[in-house]
Amino acid sequence: MRQIEWAMWANEQALASGLILITGGIVATAGQFAQWYLGTYSIAAGVLICLLEYPRGKRRKGSTMERCGQKYLTRVVKVFGPLTSNYYIRAFLHLGLSVPAGFLLATILGTACLAIASSIYLLAAVQGEQWTPIETKPKERPQVGGTIKQPPSNPPPRPPAEARKKPSEEEEGAGVPVGGPQENPMPVTDEVV
Amino acid sequence: MSEYQSPHRGGHIALIWLSLNVLLFWKTFLLYNQGPEYHYLHQMLGDTEYSSLCYTVGPCCLSILYIRVCICKSQTPNPSLAHSSLPWQPQVCFLSLGLCLSRASASVLNLNCSLILLPMCRMLLAYLRGSQKVPSRRTRRLLDKSRTFHTTCGVTICIFSGVHVAAHLVNALNFSVNYCEDFVELNAARYRDEDPRKLLFTTVPGLTGACMVLVLFLMITASTYAIRVSNYDIFWYTHNLFLVFYMLLMLHVSGGLLKYQTNLDTHPPGCINLNGTRYQNIHLPEYLSEHFHESFPGGFSKPDELTQNTFVKICMEEPRFQANFPQTWLWISGPLCLYCAERLYRRIRSNKPVTIISVINHPSDVLEIRMVKENFKARPGQYIILHCPSVSALENHPFTLTMCPTETKATFGVHLKIVGDWTERFRDLLLPPSSQDSEILPFIQSRNYPKLYIDGPFGSPFEDSLNYEVSLCVAGGIGVTPFASILNTLLDDWKPYRLRRLYFIWVCRDIQSFRWFADLLCVLYNKFWQENRPDYVNIQLYLSQTDGLQKIIGEKYQALNSRLFIGRPRWKLLFNEIAKYNRGKTVGVFCCGPNSISKTLHKLSNENNSYGTRFEYNKESFS
Repeated sequence: MRQIEWAMWANEQALASGLILITGGIVATAGQFAQWYLGTYSIAAGVLICLLEYPRGKRRKGSTMERCGQKYLTRVVKVFGPLTSNYYIRAFLHLGLSVPAGFLLATILGTACLAIASSIYLLAAVQGEQWTPIETKPKERPQVGGTIKQPPSNPPPRPPAEARKKPSEEEEGAGVPVGGPQENPMPVTDEVV
Repeated sequence: MSEYQSPHRGGHIALIWLSLNVLLFWKTFLLYNQGPEYHYLHQMLGDTEYSSLCYTVGPCCLSILYIRVCICKSQTPNPSLAHSSLPWQPQVCFLSLGLCLSRASASVLNLNCSLILLPMCRMLLAYLRGSQKVPSRRTRRLLDKSRTFHTTCGVTICIFSGVHVAAHLVNALNFSVNYCEDFVELNAARYRDEDPRKLLFTTVPGLTGACMVLVLFLMITASTYAIRVSNYDIFWYTHNLFLVFYMLLMLHVSGGLLKYQTNLDTHPPGCINLNGTRYQNIHLPEYLSEHFHESFPGGFSKPDELTQNTFVKICMEEPRFQANFPQTWLWISGPLCLYCAERLYRRIRSNKPVTIISVINHPSDVLEIRMVKENFKARPGQYIILHCPSVSALENHPFTLTMCPTETKATFGVHLKIVGDWTERFRDLLLPPSSQDSEILPFIQSRNYPKLYIDGPFGSPFEDSLNYEVSLCVAGGIGVTPFASILNTLLDDWKPYRLRRLYFIWVCRDIQSFRWFADLLCVLYNKFWQENRPDYVNIQLYLSQTDGLQKIIGEKYQALNSRLFIGRPRWKLLFNEIAKYNRGKTVGVFCCGPNSISKTLHKLSNENNSYGTRFEYNKESFS
């Protein structure tokens, strides 16, 4: 079986867990339950996790679908270097973040989901996967006239390339009949005024 | 003339499904909110404390889909003080409907968990598609939307599971806080202020519910489009956890935590017990409180009159409670049995391996396999699933049939494009690596071929192309396979079908790709020429990338060379031309290729034209 890339799945799970933590945290803080400060903590942790997990990493083979607008966050996450690209660190970070939220009823679901995401990240790390940023290729602007080195000096019909001293241009090459050098029996004048 | 002369049946089904959900939700909600048999449960879970006050406060309450945010007093409210100017402590009491929300969302979940299995019964759908009982083309097109329906039910299950879980967490909290000795059997908690988390994990419904949420979480996160496109295996294996989900669901509803009162006649809720035990709370039950707010503006003097009007009963015995019969078992047993029966039938039918007759290597990494199997019947356009244990014990892959068995010839075949590791290994097993580069003649070496099992055939929208009078079939690259089977069928005999004109557009990147079916196309062209129907099949081949110098397919394919165009097709012009030559007819549009072409064709099919021709776009959904 082909190597399954677990990191992509772990990324989806962590993003979803972040959102669940934020929701649970809002409920806990707004309802002013006992230990509601844990609700505030889980909102903060959820936001951090969402920001970290939003940029999708590059797949090993094939093209990766980017999330909408992820290139700004990619730049930020790239700055941290090995802290964010190593999946062992991510796994333990998620595990650590999930523990305090487990003490509150409203956020216990977020804890469980984040713990699962962390274990899948651990699996990905064991398989040697890494987070690589998706680089956006700079758009190649079509060079207008870049291939025109020198305009032709002879009017058509022109002799074939071998006989020409200067290199041929692409734009002129398409419709021009390439024939041998023509010697007109009578002098030809241009009658257009 | 309107764009759609016939109403879009898919929209009707969606409307029916939506109204069923809303009806169920509403009915169950009202039952638990107002039904007398749930009166005590309702009170215990903290509802009446706030709800009648919320009614009376009226303008201060925002009702957003039954999650009410009210300005309430934090202590036990006394309606007589409602109009005085006591300072109100704003407190969000949107938790006041835990019981009703949880039960209403449970009934919606029942419906969707049972409906979600039906689109996955592929044999049943293939049978319906082909049977005479579904004559209408419109109804058959509904079957094309089965995957969309499955996804919609799935999303609904997610959303309502979230609502259900949240509501039950609130119930757990209320059970522990409102514990009272009068109703020990009604309360799920064992003592006052029992930790709700303990309630969650030590009761059968709580534990199974928690496990179901985790399974659902795994299934949902693996079902996103990005995962399906990149790592289909993860999606497939986690989605098979649905069996675990259903087993847990059956256990979940057997817990019987929420009970109803059985002896309403001898113990009406709110009655007075002469022994002194107070069953009557400060507020009268909600179904009597309508009188309350009509008389409210006048102050609290009215209720005396009210108590004279309402008959206050004397309790004859203690209230008795019983758990509801698990309705969920009734809902999901039918579809689950149907689905399991179908899987079993498919497993039994595919137990016998096929006999591979020949393996042909085509240019551009395509392999053709011809095989026979006893009692195998298929219609053109259908697909089968191949399973080869020597390549991979667990993986199955679908391939469209390019040649169907007929009455005279039992051979059928598939064309596979070698893209991933499964197909690569499959090719290595079938053909020795040395001969893979050249285009070789088929040779029979049946003793060397691995065992191959097939499952199916399953239906697809392309079967319908023979049922239109005029069809436009657009293929991109290897997407030509469903249309190849249609062409093979036409080669066999075209008269039994309704089709009288076929526009066949095939777009490829590499000129060698056309050789996969160049012979078939030429033979078909010649046959129609001989039968004096040269306009039956109109072939247009497009070479979308012009890097290669080779501009002809082969010397012997003159009919195709003259129909080969360089560059991409101009769809608008093509549609105009088809519309002009087939005025007033309905043209079926079928596309098997990249999404960009598919979207363009869909858009163009929905546009009006001045010739009165109607284009019906038939969409196939792959992952």
